[in-house]
Amino acid sequence: MKNNPITRRESLKKICKISGGILIAGSMPLSFTSNLLNAAVTPDKWIVDGLGQTVGYSVRELTRKVFETAGGMNRFISKGDVVVIKPNISWAREPSLAATTNPEVLEAVIELCQEAGAQKVRIADNTIHDAQRCFSITGAGQVAQKTGADIVHPRSSMMKDMNLHGHRLDVWQVFTPLVEADKVINLPVAKVHGLSGLTLGMKNWIGGVGGRRSALHQDIHQTIVDLAQFFKPQITLIDATRIMVSNGPSGGSPSDVKVVNRLILSQDPVAADARGALLFDKKPEDIGFIRLGDKWGLGTMNLDKVKQLSVVL
Amino acid sequence: MKARHLVWVRRACQAFFLCLFILLLIGTRLPQNVYMDYSQSFSDARDIRITGPVTFFFHLDPLVWLSSIISARQWLTGFGWAIALMIVTILFGRFFCSFVCPFGTLHHMTGAIKPSLKGKAMISANSGGRGRRFKYFLLIALITSAAVGVNYAGIIDPISFLFRSISASILPAIGIGLRHVFDALALSDIKLFNYLGYGTEAVAAPIFGYEDKAFQTGWVIGFLFLVILFLNRIRPRFWCRFLCPLGAMLGISSKFSVFTLKKDENKCTHCGACVKKCQGAASPEPGTQWQKSECLLCLNCEKTCPEDALTFGLRGIGGKTPATDIGRRAVMGGLVAGISLPLFGRLDGGISKTSSPALIRPPGALPEPEFLDRCQRCGLCMKACPTNVINPALTEGGLAGFWTPTLIMTLGYCEYTCTLCTSVCPTGAIEELTAKKKIETPVRIGSAYVDRGRCLPWNGNSACIVCEEHCPTSPKAIYFKNDVITRPDGEKIPVQLPFVDLKRCVGCGICSFKCPVKGNPAIQTFSAGESRSLENQILL
Repeated sequence: MKNNPITRRESLKKICKISGGILIAGSMPLSFTSNLLNAAVTPDKWIVDGLGQTVGYSVRELTRKVFETAGGMNRFISKGDVVVIKPNISWAREPSLAATTNPEVLEAVIELCQEAGAQKVRIADNTIHDAQRCFSITGAGQVAQKTGADIVHPRSSMMKDMNLHGHRLDVWQVFTPLVEADKVINLPVAKVHGLSGLTLGMKNWIGGVGGRRSALHQDIHQTIVDLAQFFKPQITLIDATRIMVSNGPSGGSPSDVKVVNRLILSQDPVAADARGALLFDKKPEDIGFIRLGDKWGLGTMNLDKVKQLSVVL
Repeated sequence: MKARHLVWVRRACQAFFLCLFILLLIGTRLPQNVYMDYSQSFSDARDIRITGPVTFFFHLDPLVWLSSIISARQWLTGFGWAIALMIVTILFGRFFCSFVCPFGTLHHMTGAIKPSLKGKAMISANSGGRGRRFKYFLLIALITSAAVGVNYAGIIDPISFLFRSISASILPAIGIGLRHVFDALALSDIKLFNYLGYGTEAVAAPIFGYEDKAFQTGWVIGFLFLVILFLNRIRPRFWCRFLCPLGAMLGISSKFSVFTLKKDENKCTHCGACVKKCQGAASPEPGTQWQKSECLLCLNCEKTCPEDALTFGLRGIGGKTPATDIGRRAVMGGLVAGISLPLFGRLDGGISKTSSPALIRPPGALPEPEFLDRCQRCGLCMKACPTNVINPALTEGGLAGFWTPTLIMTLGYCEYTCTLCTSVCPTGAIEELTAKKKIETPVRIGSAYVDRGRCLPWNGNSACIVCEEHCPTSPKAIYFKNDVITRPDGEKIPVQLPFVDLKRCVGCGICSFKCPVKGNPAIQTFSAGESRSLENQILL
C-alpha cells in the first residue's frame, strides 16, 4: 500500500480534471471576452505582466486587472470548486519585509475565487517558522478572517507519504490539502535564495511537502522540478509587488526589499519563473530549476514563444 | 451557615480553582487567534502576548514570593495576591490548602475516592506522627538556601511542581497518545475514518497543540507526580502533611489566627468519625490538643460529627494558642541543609568559575547568579514556547540549575521575532523583551559553530546551504566561500562552504535545528557569547 499510495487520489484527480476540463470548455465562449481569444496562441502559452506605476495604486485593483486580462478567474475556477491557495508564508516576518506573499494580493485572489463561485477557499502552507506565528504576522490570518477563507494549519495528520514519480524524489511526505483540492493556485513571492539563486513559483512547492525538507537542498534544482511536476497548479501568480533582493530567503531588513510593483500571472510555471528571473536582472537559463523545468517539459523558459500581455495601472 | 453547607462551598471553591489552574495552564501558549491586524506591522515589529493572567497562581503563592525576595534581595512587583494571602492566613488560618490549592485538591480527590485505609487503620493513619515535621525541615532548608544564594524552592513548591508536572509531562503525554490515534484515523484509507480523524483533531488540537511536544526528563517529572499522587493511599494528603513547604509556611503563619476548633467533650462519644475524615491529621477529637498549624480547615470534622461536638468559631482575644510542632531537629537540619545546598550547587563551577556550553538560557534571562536567585523552575516559559526549544535542564546547569530552563536546539529553536517566554516569567528571572529590543540590541543567547567534519559541503559530500537559508539576521550571520569538491567518482560539485560571523550571530539555533545532519547537527549552538554574561564574551 505504502509503495503506491497515490492510486486512489490519482484517479480522483483525473476525474476532477476531466470534469473540470469539460466545465472550462463549456464556459469558454462566455469567459473569453478579452482579446486573448482572438490571439493565435495556445491557452497555455501566455503570460500577463502587471505593473503598478501610479503612486498609491491599489494592489487589489492590479490583481483584478491582471486576472481580467488573462480572461477572468472563471477560466481557471469553476463553480463549486474547492480552491487551495499556496502562498509563501514560511517566515514569521511582517509583510513589508517581502519574505512572504503580500496579504493584499492574497486577499484579492481569494475574492476573485469566491466571485468565480468557489465553494471553499483554503490557504495552505507548510511553514518554516511556527505556523501560528506565520499566520498572524504575515497577515494571512487576517485575510482569512476578512474573506471567510479557511486557514489550514500544517499537522502530522495532513502529511501523507505519496509517490512523487520524480527523477530524484519518489516517496515523500505531501501536505494533503494541496492534492485534495479541485484547483490549486500558486501564489509565491519573488526573492533571492543562496542556493537556487531565486525563490519563485516552482520553488514554492517545497512548502507543499513535509519530511526531511532540509535534505532537498542537496540537489535543489532537480527536486524543485520534481515537486513542480507533481503539484501542477491551475495557475501561478508571482507576487513581485515587493521583492527581496538580498539576504534571502528570510530577509529581515527593509534594506533587503525592493519595491517593483509587479505581478506575473501564467499557467506555465516555467514561463512565470522565467519572467520573474528577469526582475532580478538574471537570465532564466542561468537559474538551474528554470532550465531543468524547460528541459523536462513543464513549460517554456523562452519568453518569445509565449504571448505576453501587460496591464499597467 | 451550617458546616455541611460550608463543605459544599469548599468543594465548589476547590473545583473552581482547579479548573482555573488547568485553564490557565492550557492557555499558557501562543494565542490561537491568528487573525491579527497586519496593517499595524508596517510600522514596527509586533509582540504577540498571552492575554490571560497565566502567572496568577504563582503570584498567589507566598513561598514563591518569599524565596524570591530573600534570594534576590530586592522587592518584586506583582505579588499583591501572595501578600494578601499571607495576611488572610495570619488572620484566619491555613484555608488556602483546602479551598484554593489545586495540588491540594488533587490530593484530596485521590485520597477520598475509594480510600485504601478503612476503619481503625484510617484512624491511626490520621493520628499525628512526627513525620509531619519533615515539611518544616524542607521549608527552613529552602528559605535558608535562598538566603545563601540559590533559590531551590521551585523544585517542590506545590504550584511550580504541579505546573511543571502537568505541562511538561501529563499534558504532552496525553497529547502524543491522542494525536497518534487521530493520525492513524486521518491517514487510513477508509473515508469514514478520515472524517473522524479530522473532526476529533479539531477537538484535541486546541488543548494539546498541533505538534508533539518533547521535554527532557519529562518522564521523571511525570513519574514523580504519579508517585506523589499514589502516596495518598498510604496517608491521605501525604504531600500536604509531610512534604509541602508552602503548607509549612502557611501553618507557621496561622499560629495566631482567630479561628479555633471548639470541642465539646461532654457531647463526644469518641466514635472517631472526625479523625477518620481529618485531612491534616490535626487531632480534632475532643480530649486531644487540636493542632492548628496542621489543620487545613477543610471543615470535615465539624460536618461529620454525629453529636455536633465540634464547631469552628472565633477564639477569644488572648486565648492560649497551641505551639507549632516543628521540632529542634527540623530547624537545625533545615539550616544545615539550607546552607550546604547552595554551596554544593556551586561546586561544579557553573555559577562563578565557568559557563556551561550547553546551558543556553531564554532571551532576556538575567545573569546566571541572579537568574538562579529568582527562577522557580515552574515551566511557564517552557509551556509558552511555541517551538518547544525551552526544556528543563538535567545536567546543563549543574545541581543549582536542575530543571531550570535551557534551550535544546535539536528540539526547537528560538524564533527571531518571538518574545513570548519573556512575558510570562512570574519572578522576572527572564526580563520582558520586545521583538524590537531583542533584534536591535541584539540579545544574544549563544553562538553557532560549524562542525566541519559533519558539514556536508565541508566534508565533501554535497552542496547544502540550509543553515544560511534559515539564518534570520540581516545581514546573515552565515556566509559562504565558494569551492569545488571532487567526488570519489571524479564528479566535480560546486559547493558553498559556510562560515559563521560571530559579530552577527545571536545564537537562535535555527541553523542547528534545521541542519540535515540530525541528532548531532553539523552546526551547533553553544552559550558562548550570550549577552547576559560579561565573562562569557568571545570577541574583543
